[in-house]
Amino acid sequence: MKKKLISIVCAIMALTMGIVGLTACNGAKFDDSKNISVVAREDGSGTKSAFMEIIGLKGKSDVSGVIIGTGTAGILAEVKSNPLAIAYESLGYVTSDVKMLTVDGVAATIENIKNGSYQIARPLNIVYKAATIQSDLNGAFYEFLNSSNAQTIISDNGYVSTKDEATAYTVKSGISGEISVSGSTSLQPLMVILAAEFERIQANVTVTVAGGGSGTGYKNANDGVSDFGMISETFNSTKAENCTSCEVAKDGIAIIVNKANIYDNISLADLKNIYNCEESSNTKITTWADLSK
Amino acid sequence: MKSLYGYINAREKVMKGVFIGSALFSVFALLSITVFLFWSGVPFIAKIGVGDFIFGTKWAPLADSPSYGILSMIVTTLYVTALSVILGVGIGLFTAICLYKFCPKKLVSPIRQMINLLAGIPSVIFGLFGMTLIVPFIRDYVSPTGVGYGILSASIVLAIMILPTIVSVSLDAMVSVPNTYFEGALALGATKEQTTFKVMLPAAKSGILAGVVLAIGRAIGETMAVIMVIGGSPEMPNSIFQSVRTMTANIAMGATELSGDALSALIATGVVLFVFTLLLNVSFSALKNNSVKKDRKKNKEKRYAKNK
Repeated sequence: MKKKLISIVCAIMALTMGIVGLTACNGAKFDDSKNISVVAREDGSGTKSAFMEIIGLKGKSDVSGVIIGTGTAGILAEVKSNPLAIAYESLGYVTSDVKMLTVDGVAATIENIKNGSYQIARPLNIVYKAATIQSDLNGAFYEFLNSSNAQTIISDNGYVSTKDEATAYTVKSGISGEISVSGSTSLQPLMVILAAEFERIQANVTVTVAGGGSGTGYKNANDGVSDFGMISETFNSTKAENCTSCEVAKDGIAIIVNKANIYDNISLADLKNIYNCEESSNTKITTWADLSK
Repeated sequence: MKSLYGYINAREKVMKGVFIGSALFSVFALLSITVFLFWSGVPFIAKIGVGDFIFGTKWAPLADSPSYGILSMIVTTLYVTALSVILGVGIGLFTAICLYKFCPKKLVSPIRQMINLLAGIPSVIFGLFGMTLIVPFIRDYVSPTGVGYGILSASIVLAIMILPTIVSVSLDAMVSVPNTYFEGALALGATKEQTTFKVMLPAAKSGILAGVVLAIGRAIGETMAVIMVIGGSPEMPNSIFQSVRTMTANIAMGATELSGDALSALIATGVVLFVFTLLLNVSFSALKNNSVKKDRKKNKEKRYAKNK
C-alpha cells in the first residue's frame, strides 16, 4: 500500500515537472499555415482607440476570436509566449522580448514618427481645466512639461519629442504642494519619470501619477478629481467639456509579433483586414500564409 | 451599591448597543450593495429592454450604434462553472474519500495541510499559473486550433481553486457521520469500499451538497483568475478552445475604462450576476430543508413501523 502510494506520488511529480518543462523550455515553433492569434486591448484603452482610429476602424468591435490582453504588460506577455500572435503596443513600451514589424516597409522608429512616414502614430496629451494652470503650482508643472528639460527626458525614454524650440525650465521659489495626474496607462510611465524630475528640481512639490486609462483621464480632469488628466489620443472635447489639452509627446504604435515569427513586414491594408470584424469571409486573412507578400 | 448597579447597567446598555450595531452593520452593507446595484442597474436594463439585454448576443458598448447583449457571457459563465464543478467535485470527492479511510494515517494530516494551504493562495496567483503554464500547454499540445485561452483553461484553474472547499467540507461531512454506521456495515459483511460508497456517502449527502454549492458560488464569482485565462472576446462559445468572456470578466475588464451608458451596462451585468448567486443560495436552502424534512419523515415512519 505504502509503496504503491509513493510510486503514485512520484508519478504525479514527474508528470508535473514534465508539463512545466515542456511549456517553459518550449522553443516556440512558428507555423504559418496556422491561424493568426489576434491580440487586442480591452475596450476603453487609449492605445486601442488610437490604433483603431488610425487604421480606419474607429468604433468597430473586435474580430471574432480576439484575445484581450489586459494592460500593456498583458499584451507583451501574450506576444512573448504565443508564436502565432500579432498585437499593437506603444513604441515606448515595446521590449526586446518581441519583434516589431515594419508597416508598408517603414520601421517604427522615432525619426519615422517625427517626419510622419510611419503611419501608426498618435499624440500623448494632458487635459486640464483652463483655470488649473493659473495657479503657481500647476502652472509651474505645465511650464516644466513644455521645457527643454522635459523634452530631453521624453526622447531619452523612447518617446518622440515634438517641441524642437523649447526653452529650459527656471526653478520657481516658494511653491509647494501636491499635483495629481491620472489617466492613460500609455502616458503614465513617461509621466512618472517626468514627475520624479520635477519633484527633484522643485523640492517641496509632490506629484502623484495614477493610471486608469484615457477614459479615466478625461473624467478625472473634467470632474476636478485630478489636476491633470492623461490621454493617449487626439483630444476630443465632447469627452471633457470643461477642459483643454496640450501635447506632451508623440508615441508610435508598434505592430509586434513573436520572435519566432518569420515575417518582417505587414501592409497597412493587411493589418486593417486582420483587425476588421466586418471583413467578408472570402477575403479575410486568417492564417499567416494569407498575408500579401 | 446602587451607583455600582447603575454603572453596570449603563455599561451593559452601551455594550448591547455596540453588539446590535455590529450585527446591523452587515445587514446595512448587504442592503446598500443591493440598493446600489438595482438603483443604477435596473433603469438601464429597462431602457435597453430585458430581452435585448439578457438575450442579445452582441456586446459592443463603444460602437457607433452600441449594443449591450450579454447572453454570450451568461452562457460562458454557466459553461465554465459547470465544467469546473464537474472537474473539481470529481477530484475533490475522491480526495476526501481517500483521506477518510483509504490513506495511511501518517499522510492524512500533511495532505490536509497542503490542501488548506491551497485555499490561502490569492486568486491572481492562480491566474498567473494558468496564464504561464496551462494556457501555453493547451495551446501547444491540446488545442486543435492553436488557441490556449477559453473555457477549458478557465475550468481547470477554477477546479484547482475550488478543490479545498470541496475536500474539506465533504471530509467534515463524512467524519461527522457516526462511526457506528461504518462499523455496522462492516459487521454485516460489506467491504470497506461498499461501506464508503453505499453507506457513508449517502449519509453525508447533504454536507457534500453544501460543499458543492459553496464551490459553485466561488466558481461563478471568481474574476481575476478567470480574466487571465479566458481570452476575453465577448462572443458565443462554440468550442472549449476559444477566446470568450464571463460576466465577472466583463465587469472587471471595463470598470476602470468605461463611462456613461457602457458603465451602466456593466452594473446591469452585476445585477444579473447578483440574481444568479441569489437564486443559487435560495435553491440550495430549499434543497437542504427539503432533504432534512425527508430524513425526519423517514425516521418518523421507521419509528412508527417499529412501534407497530
